[in-house]
Amino acid sequence: MNYLLKKTALVGALLLGVSFQASAAEPILVGISITQSPPGSVVQGVQIKDALEIYRDLVNAKGGVLGRPIQLVFEDSQGLPEKGRSAVEKLITKDKVVAIAGSHQSSVCLSEIEVAHRYQIPYVNTNCWADSVREKGYPEVFNTSPYNSVVAKSMAATLKAMKVKRVVAFAENTDYGIGLAKGLGTALKAAAPNVDYKFETLDRSSKDFTPAILTLKANPPDVVVLTMLPPAAYIALNQLYEQGVAPTAKTIVYDGAGMADYPDFWQNVKEAGKYLMTIGMYHPEMNQTDLSRQIAVAYKRKTGNDPNRLIFQAVDSLVVVVDSIRQAKSTDPEKMLAAMGTGKFEGARGTMTFDSHQGGTYHQWVDIPYVNYQLTAVNQAVGNTTLLQGPGMPLNIGKLQYPK
Amino acid sequence: MPLFFDLTINGLIMGLFYALMAVGLAMIFGILRIVNFAHGEFFMVGAYAYALTAMKLGINPWFALILAAVSGAFLGVAIEKLLMRPLYQGYASWSIVKDEYAVVVTFALSLFLIHFVDKVIGPSPFMGPSLVSTQRIAIGPIMLNGQKIIAAGISISLLCGLALFIKKSLWGRQIQAVAQNRFGSSLAGIDPVKTTSIIFAISGMLAALSGALLAPIMNPAPDIGSFPALKSFIIVVLGGIGSIWGSMFAALLLGVSESFFAVYISYDYRDAFGLFILVAVLIFRPHGLAGQKGRGA
Repeated sequence: MNYLLKKTALVGALLLGVSFQASAAEPILVGISITQSPPGSVVQGVQIKDALEIYRDLVNAKGGVLGRPIQLVFEDSQGLPEKGRSAVEKLITKDKVVAIAGSHQSSVCLSEIEVAHRYQIPYVNTNCWADSVREKGYPEVFNTSPYNSVVAKSMAATLKAMKVKRVVAFAENTDYGIGLAKGLGTALKAAAPNVDYKFETLDRSSKDFTPAILTLKANPPDVVVLTMLPPAAYIALNQLYEQGVAPTAKTIVYDGAGMADYPDFWQNVKEAGKYLMTIGMYHPEMNQTDLSRQIAVAYKRKTGNDPNRLIFQAVDSLVVVVDSIRQAKSTDPEKMLAAMGTGKFEGARGTMTFDSHQGGTYHQWVDIPYVNYQLTAVNQAVGNTTLLQGPGMPLNIGKLQYPK
Repeated sequence: MPLFFDLTINGLIMGLFYALMAVGLAMIFGILRIVNFAHGEFFMVGAYAYALTAMKLGINPWFALILAAVSGAFLGVAIEKLLMRPLYQGYASWSIVKDEYAVVVTFALSLFLIHFVDKVIGPSPFMGPSLVSTQRIAIGPIMLNGQKIIAAGISISLLCGLALFIKKSLWGRQIQAVAQNRFGSSLAGIDPVKTTSIIFAISGMLAALSGALLAPIMNPAPDIGSFPALKSFIIVVLGGIGSIWGSMFAALLLGVSESFFAVYISYDYRDAFGLFILVAVLIFRPHGLAGQKGRGA
């Protein structure tokens, strides 16, 4: 009898242990809405997915968070606002995720945050630049992404330092493109009111921008600014080159999307990319953290490509989700949001905190690092480009080169 | 004045590319009275076949161009045999839902091909190799891309060749006969099935060639076909549904007028301009610029 009791107790204890273990190992689900199929930017979606998986594996290899592994639940937004909205709705209501991250393309974010706001679920924006995402003032939305107003201010400062007289911007017809072009106009008015600035809106699905470019031939501006994403930006750059408008001894192209570190950049622009000046959200000369070094090695191993800003932005958005759970010691959305609002987060690009002032920087990591650099040779790696402005450093426009 | 010439030449070149696409679509409509929603994907297949064989396999770009044409023709024949044949060789009752069948099947095929290429080859756009090494050629004040000049020349040759083929060759006359009266032509000893296959092969080949010629200019991505397909639909209706000559003329007209509209009216609505012209023309000529009155399905 005694033996039987002991045996029963042992089996009971084992079952209890297994049950506790199962409960402890129950994954924390994080919803990821990215573009995995056309017509949106699948290239961005693929990079974000790779980066998030690398960071998830790093976290899980160290025992996860609160003793539970992180599990990512991916949904395809196709880069379409309506698909993004239903993707987030599904992630929140069906999959019961504790937070949403990974989103890119501003118009998609603007649609998705409405759902996150309705369900009061944390939403960490990876790569939506439009200020309007912040201006909504939703307490659930936090931004580790670059943002248009800081990019516009930096570009205006650069243009002022170049002492340009006339600037023309080509903006894609999206919240990001038009928002940045307008923001640049406002920033230029404040920084360099004598600069003659105008922007032209181009359809991002179009394949021929030649007519718009031809109008510049008779009187080329000093700088052509592109607030466009690939592949449209590649086509515009090629057609500017083909028409002899830029780059020339007079006119240079200034990219406001940071496209020069895309893995497919050189393959698509070749000679037209030489002399391109660009604002960059990542440069190997930026301060590297332990996390960024780990991510860079893992990313290179996984894809064969060097990391770029999008990789680190994606990691940082998941860092905020994971660390807010850790700091809140809970997956309760309310407690996570409180932790995000007050906490400090050690990301791949530095220490992140979020602004609490309403407006264009609401819940934004304001001191986001950026650089300005110029490509001076075809197939040049970002690390070998001419750095015009290091992170947090003054601009050195004297290094800028023009074609002879 | 230089801007006027620049815009005219750029518009004509774009019009030639539109024409290569639209003529194939018009031919298919002329003979089967269906709209092929997967027509843009012939363009995409041509662009990828050209760029991949030239870049990954290191094949001479001119030979890659021929391979692209063959792949477009092959795809056209395969679609006709596997998907279109039930329209005229299936059950008699299929004729009742012919239009619905064609819309659903070609639309599904379009989505399948886009996603297939996206998953198998990848989402990144890439520029195909140029047929000529000279990237920029200055003709007076006009600057042209070497690839565009070559592509325009090839497009003119192909369109002239097609016109001669339709008018003078036996197969061309058979195509005209089947387009006029499928049943009547079969009574005269013409094989309408074989003729339809030829139409799909030509249509696929022309669209694929258009894609291949533009691969060094438009940076193909999986959904590259949606842009020329939309233009082609406008052109086919504008030119007069089923009319090859009308389509050629409408393509050039659209190319040039878009170019001027973008500069002198609004770039924002440049791509909507085609629809604008279409509505205006249809109000006064419901059968299109060169369509035949009372011609029905």
